Amino acid sequence: MAKISFHHSDGNVDVLDVDPGTSLMRAAVTNGVDGIVGECGGQAMCATCHVYVRPEYLDGLPAISDDEEEMLDCTTEDRNERSRLGCQIKAGDDFDTIEVDLPASQI
Amino acid sequence: MTAEAIEARPVPTADWVTIEDLYRNPFPIYRKMREEAPVHWVPAVNRYMVTSYEACHVVENDQEIFSANETNSLMKRAMGHSMLRKDDPEHDVDRKSYGSVLRPKAIKEHWNAIFQQNSDKYLGQLKAAGPGADLIWEYAAPYAAENLRLIMGFHNATQEDMQRWSQTMINGTGNYADDPEVWAASEKSYNEVDDAIDEILPYLRKNPDSSLLSGMTSMPIPLEAIRANMKMTIGGGLNEPRDVLGVAVWALLSNPEQLAKVLADTSLFPAVFEESVRWVAPIGMYPRETTRDTVLEGVQLPKGARLGVVVGAANRDPKVFEDPETFNIFRAKKPHLAFGGGNHYCAGAWVAKASVSGIALPQLFAELPNLRLDPGRPAVDAGWVFRGMTSLPVLWDNKK
Repeated sequence: MAKISFHHSDGNVDVLDVDPGTSLMRAAVTNGVDGIVGECGGQAMCATCHVYVRPEYLDGLPAISDDEEEMLDCTTEDRNERSRLGCQIKAGDDFDTIEVDLPASQI
Repeated sequence: MTAEAIEARPVPTADWVTIEDLYRNPFPIYRKMREEAPVHWVPAVNRYMVTSYEACHVVENDQEIFSANETNSLMKRAMGHSMLRKDDPEHDVDRKSYGSVLRPKAIKEHWNAIFQQNSDKYLGQLKAAGPGADLIWEYAAPYAAENLRLIMGFHNATQEDMQRWSQTMINGTGNYADDPEVWAASEKSYNEVDDAIDEILPYLRKNPDSSLLSGMTSMPIPLEAIRANMKMTIGGGLNEPRDVLGVAVWALLSNPEQLAKVLADTSLFPAVFEESVRWVAPIGMYPRETTRDTVLEGVQLPKGARLGVVVGAANRDPKVFEDPETFNIFRAKKPHLAFGGGNHYCAGAWVAKASVSGIALPQLFAELPNLRLDPGRPAVDAGWVFRGMTSLPVLWDNKK
């Protein structure tokens, strides 16, 4: 199992234990974590699973693909150097433990 | 049986629903159904209609239980077996064949300039027709059709061909009455589209451009799949931007206070777009089929149940949207289901937003002073599986 901590903009935290292979977006949608929409089901098509990865967890993540790069320019809350799409980051493959901050809005 | 199944209730029947009433105005019907249960068996439609937001959301995120690959699908007969009626992994192969043609970067680099040319052309046509002209048929329909023609790469067809193909094949997908004339017109278009694809692919191989069909020439995808996906895109990429454009104009002209705020701040046009598709989803219902006995939001459904996922109803669910029947561009932002969700999320969503709220709406209101409804000839909104304006006569002040 891998562990994901979602830090909401109001200070609340949701912590999930998820199976390897589960994307951060899918984990949030399946478990009803507010603040992640994931409209397109993980195709890097909608930019509604935007997260800010806490700096200490950035290094282990895969490079940003062209599709993700394009979508990160379409997020509702401004992109910064910690921005990723939750659908492109998978438990087990990319992290065992991760903490992300959620933007105030995805739409 | 699981505890969930024991506690689940049988699905209620809505025998009072008629196609005629749905076509005229489905929203009071959806409200009554939603208040009673999230799912009904509707004899007139010959489907289980799913009307609550939560139930629609569950269905579109679970392709294992709720398959898109429907048995005896009219859409498969009318258009061939497109990605819209496939589940993953088969769906994903087709979907990837669309590459980046419909994505924001391509829109910015290629399509926006073409949308602008088309808007200029058909706005000129509308102006030439003069005040009293029908905004749908002089502007919105040819604009949407010409945009789609060029995105797809049908350099050997006209926008009028696109409109005819789209409508006749859509009529085929909805031909529950098995009307032979509807099938004849649909099949004629089916064959014309195949011929057009066969003719244009060799040309695009020699003269590649940014279009979908040009991209297909280098994709390892069977011709049958290309043909079916192109027909689905003709059906799903024309009426929808046309109808959201028509509904948005009608809604703004019917709500002068909101219109005044938009005219004072044109950065509100994207909010106009989102609220228009929420309020009247251009595609109001799409099918799914259960792969086993299941319970959906507390209601029992048998294996093989043919569902209608009524996103047009989900988008007015008061559990999610406050005062849902009202058009209000300033409402609290909530994700609507007008583009569908999950793996079948609309591939053309960014194109629709760019062409309608990026170009058409701002230009219409900028170039047609005092644009207003024609009090002598009321606008007509109609439909339920597909809903939009069938007529939108408008007046404006000619510049002196």
